[in-house]
Amino acid sequence: MEARSGGRVASRALGALRESWDDLVRLFAHVPFGVSLLAAWAFLTLIGVIVEQGKDPSFYAAEYAPPLARLIVRLDLGNIYHSPAYLIAIGLILCSMAAATFTKVIPRRIPRLNPVKIDAIPLHARVRLAADPESVRERLAAFFAARGWQVRKREFGGAEWTFADKNNWARRGVLVAHLGFLIIAIGTTIYWAKGYSGQFAVLSGQTATIPENGATIALHRFAYRIDPIQTKAGTVYQPIDYVSNATVTGKDGLPRDAVIRVNQPYDVDGTLIYQATYGFAIDFRLTRDGRPVPVSDHPLKEGEGFVIPGTSRAIEYTRFVGTIDRATGQPAADPRPNDPGVVVQAFDGDRPAGSALLALGQPVDLGAGYALTAQRYILYSGFQYRYDPGIPVVGLGALVLLAGLCISFYFLPARLFVLARDAGGGVTEVGIAATTVKGYDVFEERFGEIVEDLRRSEPVGDTAQAGARPVLESA
Amino acid sequence: MDPLRVHVDQWLLVLGIAAYVTAAFALFAHFLMRNPVLRAIGLPLAAVGCVSQFAELGTRWWMTGVWPLTNLYGSLSLFSACAVAIFLVFALRYDLAFIGGPVLALAAIALGYATTWNEGYMPAVPALQSYWIKVHVPIVITAYASFMVSFCVSAMYLLKDAAEKRYAQRHPTVRGVAASAGGNVDVPLSAYAANPLTGVVRTDTPALASAAAAGDATASWLTGLPSLAKLDVMQYRIIAVGLPLLSLGIITGAMWAKEAWGAYWQWDPKETAALISWIVYAGYMHLHTRPEWRGTRTAWVSVIGFVSIVFCYLGVNIWISGLHSYKM
Repeated sequence: MEARSGGRVASRALGALRESWDDLVRLFAHVPFGVSLLAAWAFLTLIGVIVEQGKDPSFYAAEYAPPLARLIVRLDLGNIYHSPAYLIAIGLILCSMAAATFTKVIPRRIPRLNPVKIDAIPLHARVRLAADPESVRERLAAFFAARGWQVRKREFGGAEWTFADKNNWARRGVLVAHLGFLIIAIGTTIYWAKGYSGQFAVLSGQTATIPENGATIALHRFAYRIDPIQTKAGTVYQPIDYVSNATVTGKDGLPRDAVIRVNQPYDVDGTLIYQATYGFAIDFRLTRDGRPVPVSDHPLKEGEGFVIPGTSRAIEYTRFVGTIDRATGQPAADPRPNDPGVVVQAFDGDRPAGSALLALGQPVDLGAGYALTAQRYILYSGFQYRYDPGIPVVGLGALVLLAGLCISFYFLPARLFVLARDAGGGVTEVGIAATTVKGYDVFEERFGEIVEDLRRSEPVGDTAQAGARPVLESA
Repeated sequence: MDPLRVHVDQWLLVLGIAAYVTAAFALFAHFLMRNPVLRAIGLPLAAVGCVSQFAELGTRWWMTGVWPLTNLYGSLSLFSACAVAIFLVFALRYDLAFIGGPVLALAAIALGYATTWNEGYMPAVPALQSYWIKVHVPIVITAYASFMVSFCVSAMYLLKDAAEKRYAQRHPTVRGVAASAGGNVDVPLSAYAANPLTGVVRTDTPALASAAAAGDATASWLTGLPSLAKLDVMQYRIIAVGLPLLSLGIITGAMWAKEAWGAYWQWDPKETAALISWIVYAGYMHLHTRPEWRGTRTAWVSVIGFVSIVFCYLGVNIWISGLHSYKM
């Protein structure tokens, strides 16, 4: 007895659970709900566009009003694309897409052939043809077939219906588009699972290794070209070319000459090496009372620095200046190294203690007997590398997505319901109604043309109708 | 640089702007007066402006050997030329000449604004020296242009819809035909507006039609515009041109980014702003499948979509620094 009652409770609970699940699926498959999720996604993305991403709290404090800066920091709006809210929005959209695909897109694409109340369909017309119903049906079938319609006949309750379909295959356009998203997602997952990426900088004359595949890149020379261009606003120094001449050695151990430019990555064993950036590394010389003090075992790149031994002070190399205007002592507009210098920032502990522009080769007194000289610059090249086995899959997904969009937008699946009935006196009245997957308005013009065409091609049973436009009753 | 070619370039630019402005006036006048002569003047002038703009971009390419779409001047020029070309195609195919005034006016404004960004003839920076610029930029700009034309149709829809509702308040019921009943019945217009599938035969804009029949001159003029349903279909068709192009533009942009920087997607403000526009128009397409959402609501979504396009196209490039900035 107890077991039976327990079973009933379990069955009732299961039924309630199933009902709740069905409600949830219905909600997720509901188009306005899906669009609401899209709107939420767009809103969160807009925040990411407006609020600069990936900055320190101090940046927001400096850039925005205090309440806004606090809001950005507290809600982590500076990292919105990786925030739980953003990921949840995308997850819910994928769930909505899946629910709509499985409950609406797949099952209801090809509706059954059933009779309809022709006059109840907003897009309908009546044509009276001079022939008996049987021959009219045959002629109608030939008429529609000749115009690319797929014609099928069915009998319902003694009445023979003719159904004409066009672009039925295009009913799967939305499914194809959704499939495209799925394939793209698979492609990006392949990268996450098997791919890798990274970046490194190599000074001219030095060699770097890609740790993931062991390939080496020896940079012989990095060169750039910046041209002064006369514009209406004055002289603009326009970058024209960045090029790295290197020797790349892959798994086979054979060194190969490589010329790597922006937009022209070099492929080594499936890993692409990209020209990403460049800079001027500086050899600094620190002396105390004229004696050299070791500071760094390598030339410093922008953003790097050193601590002055035995003090709480540090020096950071901030940026390279191509040309110092000798008249003003300030950086000139020309970025090319004609009369170069470097901007350095001094720190006392964590506190900035001032900055200075040093001409190359000229020492500057740091106090306490210390002197700093920026001796020379060495060009370095910044590379990115990436191995992405998911590229073909993502490309395929993009093609499928586009194909789905084009099928959905440019091929309109339509069905004509045609019923020919004897109207007496050797005349057959043909009722035609049309439905499409995108409502009636979008097909109204075409429907009018079809009916008009039918009137013209067939002998009409009523002379008053011969030249009249079809009466289209569309909502 | 050959001074003759420079002159040709400048003359073509002047011709383009002059043709757009004149065509805009002619088509606005046609919109107001329904005079076919004005239409016959406006459309060819629009075509002349469009051709001269494409010729001007071609001349720049010929003169400098540099693809002319590497700066905001070039891209805005193409934007206005494409908008006019799309308008002309739809005007000839679907009799859309009545929106020519706003389209041509916006094209002229875009081109006029473009000239303020015309720095002269400059070579492309290394990041733009790729064959992708000849694929990605024209696709995206054509998408933007089609959204501009659809925006004009949406604005027209909303204007006519507002007028329809205003007249409906004056005449609470209209004479309609209940298709299911097969006879004439009086149908409250509010019901008609709330659910277009009540089985009421569309007499295009029933309140306007009845007011026009009663001799109201404004209503009579408004009924001369295409029906709300037709405007909705037009708007849908133009967006159906723009959305696949925007999708293709985002995809080609991602492929270019992959080639230039090693990653499809960098969350650059331009990329993400384009994604926002794509989401808005994808939302439009989804809502358009629902009869109860089709019409006024989708027209508003189209307007929001165009605002997002303006933000993506100009706002992000000019005011927000990133990989697509014109000013850093």
